[in-house]
Amino acid sequence: MIKLNGVEKKYGRKSILNGVTFEAEKGQITCLIGINGAGKTTILQSIMGLTPYKKGEITIDGEKLSPKVMEKITYIPDAMTLLPKMRIKDAFQFMRDFYQNWNDERAKEILAFFKLKEEERISQLSKGNTAKVNLLMGLAMDADYILMDEPFSGIDIFSREQIADVFSSHLVEDRGVIITTHEISDIEHLIDKAVLLDNGVVKKEFMTEQVREDEGKSVIDVMREVYQG
Amino acid sequence: MAIRFDKREAVYIQVIRYFKEQIAIGKIKSGQEIPSRRELAQQLKINPNTVQRAYKEMEEEGLIYTDGNKPSIITEDTNRIKEIRESLITEAIDHFVERITSLQIPKEQILQLVQSKLNELSKESEKNHD
Repeated sequence: MIKLNGVEKKYGRKSILNGVTFEAEKGQITCLIGINGAGKTTILQSIMGLTPYKKGEITIDGEKLSPKVMEKITYIPDAMTLLPKMRIKDAFQFMRDFYQNWNDERAKEILAFFKLKEEERISQLSKGNTAKVNLLMGLAMDADYILMDEPFSGIDIFSREQIADVFSSHLVEDRGVIITTHEISDIEHLIDKAVLLDNGVVKKEFMTEQVREDEGKSVIDVMREVYQG
Repeated sequence: MAIRFDKREAVYIQVIRYFKEQIAIGKIKSGQEIPSRRELAQQLKINPNTVQRAYKEMEEEGLIYTDGNKPSIITEDTNRIKEIRESLITEAIDHFVERITSLQIPKEQILQLVQSKLNELSKESEKNHD
């Protein structure tokens, strides 16, 4: 389980996170929802140890962040970090050389899942396919937890559908997924938990099936109450 | 297999209802294998944990059974299938009665309206058969 407890973060005098507390379980898909500036990306970067935080605590399976614990996590940023000149297969080679937990077999499987070819050059991919390759690079890692920053942002509907299909597939089986988004409609039925953020605080954390069953509300109904209440 | 999901109702309940309906009308036969948790999640584009929950519930209700690691099977108990059919009918009637009584229409008129609607439907289906 990834657990955040009262995490605070400032950039200069500006508060970004004002005591963020929530949990993300293994085997579940946890979705951080919020408008731009709510603190979603900063939360993922804090979990990855990419940005220091001032107060609070982050633990992974009960342990504080350390290089050893960090091997359990893979982080997929919202923009491609590979060289555009590379072909996909060159990118695979690069990953193979630099990351011990790179799983080549899984990478090829995901490539087929997305109907992409190893020969394709990254600079020539469409926006949607670029997003898929970006996602692939993280998904192919052997890691217990996967953090995805805005995987649906700015891409066409069919690419969004294909990416959404990942969440019901064995590609994330038994892993813990944290995904950030400001658009929930593509994945409303795919997530286990929703964490609603606003101005660096968690406004509400809930299991989606439970609010449907107990309160007869959709995820968007709850969002409306929380954000427009 | 496709379900139009209501976003305000638990997905696992909708999955169970779908199976019951399909069993009741004979679209899914007793003794038939059902898709694995993962396969159904992919087909319906829903969370595998939700399918797991639906299957667990269906197992407890005696709708399906699983033998070891083999795929789950629809019950071969004909009484159970009859019960499922009957409970769906009761549910539909209850739902209808609840809505129609809130409109305060005399009983005779309700029966008459239902009768004429059914006649209309059977005429339509005859026409479609021609």
